[in-house]
Amino acid sequence: MEKIEKQEVKILQTIGDKIWAFFNSLKLTLTVLLSLAVVSIIGTVVEQGKPLEFYAKTYGERISSYVLTLGFHDMYHAWWFFTLLVFLAANIIVCTIDRFPQKWKASLEKRVDVAPQFIKNLGNSASFTVNTINGGDVFSVKNRVIEILKKKRYKIKNTDVSDGAAVFAWKGTAGRFGSDIVHVSLITILTGAIIGSFFGFKDYISINENETVNAPKSNFQVRLDKFWLDYYESGEIKQYNSQLTVVENGKDVLSKKIWVNEPLKYKGVWFYQSNYGMAYDRIKEARLVLKDKKKNQIIGEPFVVKWLEPFKIPGTNLAVNLAGFVSDFGFDEKTKQIYPRSPEHNNPAIQVIVYDNEKPISGPWLFLNYPEIFATIPNTNYDLIFMGYQGLQYTGLSMTKDPGTNIVWIGSIIMALGFILAFFIFNKKVWGRIQKAENGVDIYIGGMINKNKIMFEREFSEITACLKTEVTQK
Amino acid sequence: MNFIFFHITAASYLIATVIYIVYLFSHNDKVVKTANKILILSFLFHSITIISRGIEAGHFPFTNLHESLSIFSWMIVGVYLLVNARYHIAALGSFVSPLALLFLITASLLPKEIVPLVPQLESYWLYIHVPLAILGNAFFALSFLFGIMYLIQEHYLKSKKVGGLYFLLPSLDVLDELGYKFLTYGFPLLTIAMITGAIWSEYVWGSYWSWQPRQIWSLITWFLYAALLHGRLTVGWRGRKAAIYAIIGFMVLLGSFLIINLLSLGEHGFLR
Repeated sequence: MEKIEKQEVKILQTIGDKIWAFFNSLKLTLTVLLSLAVVSIIGTVVEQGKPLEFYAKTYGERISSYVLTLGFHDMYHAWWFFTLLVFLAANIIVCTIDRFPQKWKASLEKRVDVAPQFIKNLGNSASFTVNTINGGDVFSVKNRVIEILKKKRYKIKNTDVSDGAAVFAWKGTAGRFGSDIVHVSLITILTGAIIGSFFGFKDYISINENETVNAPKSNFQVRLDKFWLDYYESGEIKQYNSQLTVVENGKDVLSKKIWVNEPLKYKGVWFYQSNYGMAYDRIKEARLVLKDKKKNQIIGEPFVVKWLEPFKIPGTNLAVNLAGFVSDFGFDEKTKQIYPRSPEHNNPAIQVIVYDNEKPISGPWLFLNYPEIFATIPNTNYDLIFMGYQGLQYTGLSMTKDPGTNIVWIGSIIMALGFILAFFIFNKKVWGRIQKAENGVDIYIGGMINKNKIMFEREFSEITACLKTEVTQK
Repeated sequence: MNFIFFHITAASYLIATVIYIVYLFSHNDKVVKTANKILILSFLFHSITIISRGIEAGHFPFTNLHESLSIFSWMIVGVYLLVNARYHIAALGSFVSPLALLFLITASLLPKEIVPLVPQLESYWLYIHVPLAILGNAFFALSFLFGIMYLIQEHYLKSKKVGGLYFLLPSLDVLDELGYKFLTYGFPLLTIAMITGAIWSEYVWGSYWSWQPRQIWSLITWFLYAALLHGRLTVGWRGRKAAIYAIIGFMVLLGSFLIINLLSLGEHGFLR
């Protein structure tokens, strides 16, 4: 029994090793990155997220069936795109974990005492001899080497060896970990994106002016106090603005003016200015005037009637109530129903209820474009004329909640930090060895950098030049 | 007013380019010094063009392809002038100046009207995101030029016919290293541009990423350059391979830059 178990463990281990080795490969990195680049192009060629009929129309039946099966119509959510991302993530994680411990250990290791041959084999190296007459004793030369390297902001360790001294100088060790930090940031960003796609939502609401609407999937309401446009002098629209108030438990808790680029945020939900328009089924107020039918004469001044606010016409027993509106009047012969043909204000009509001494006597529809086509108040000498109206603005808000966003931003900050370390901090190491010679000392100095060799060549030659002039002059 | 400066700038780049080309044949240091001086002058004219256009428009002028191309070439020349002060690669000017001229000529063929900012663009992020993105592109452009110089130099070495440009160009090692160095500026800039673009998009659309063509193409470019950097650092794509790759990468970048900015000239304006 034990034997079999051991074998199983062994098999599992080898499988694990193989998977690890598969993901621990830079060839895989390149393959995945290039594949992602190539397949992403599909998304810019095939229009994304259209209704299915669209693809049949555009590509024909046969090709569109391929497009749909392969998920090209929604490719960034297709299984194969997701698989590529998972491969990339696994690749990043495995490569980073695999390499990190070694790197960390190497960065802590400080070998001070190295053989002259090691120094000579470094990418940059130099050696020269200082005569005793010129102050060539081990101790003072060592101190000068240290001084010069300190001026260049190196950290230094030194030790005395049997026939002289050894110096090790280093800086920018953190630069070695830049790539690891970038990898961590990428995984952070991917995590944020996944959290957002599972726990976030998107929605849309439209609110009329002075109306309060329940925010979907939330326990508060939003009221539109005002909507208005800003214009350039040339007449082009400069900005859309909405004055919004958040209402919670019947109380106003937050008021804010929003515009495109300036959303309102409440309890993790963001409200964005998305569009706007005039309501098609109600208005703010209408302007009417009374007319004497017999004399064909206007009586008195025009008056303004507010939506659903009964109004007593001065000098008469009549009152009117503005009770209905359609932006584009339509009448269905079959059902005898009145309906708006379109949300455009092409043929606006209002319905007013007329009262005689508080008794309703009629409910005529009045047309702005066709006044006086119907008698409005039967059995009287009066007629009502619809002269104008003020529409009701509504604002369209898109609503989003994405709890992953902050994680994405944190990832972005980490990434910026990682880039600074990876590309602008260089790990430089310099070894020096001072050895007693017949009539003076031999100096061996050499150094290396993890990247940007040209820059280091310059710095290294500055160091050696400095060393040469200083030790030979003194 | 800015059109007058635009034409002066273009003419000045033309003169610089001609002198730089003369230098390629004459190998005379005085010639290249003159060319550099004229290029600096062109850069000043170009700066005035951009500033005067900005004043006329009332906002930073990079809201259509004409303006972005102009700024793109301005930044390429600006980066070159900084590099030149440090590395003194005489022949580089002979590559930068024609590229800048080509961009300006293309820009002059495009619609040049100043349009007011659409509501979506009314944001401080416009002034952060767009310059960073174009600056990153400028670094990639120089990396691309080093790639071309690498291939030319390699051609001389392989054919064993030293002559012509051979003496003007730096060694293959230096060209390779510089090509890499400019990637290490371009890539973080591209990344930061994508991040700032995401922040901006979050403010306008409520979503930091929505798979818009502009975002997808920047991601494609990002994937390509990420692959190049990893190939260089770890698998040893150096020299010729890296040079060809840098050239392809920039072609993709430039192609998507032109196409997307041409397409988005419509109602959505220059966004993302």
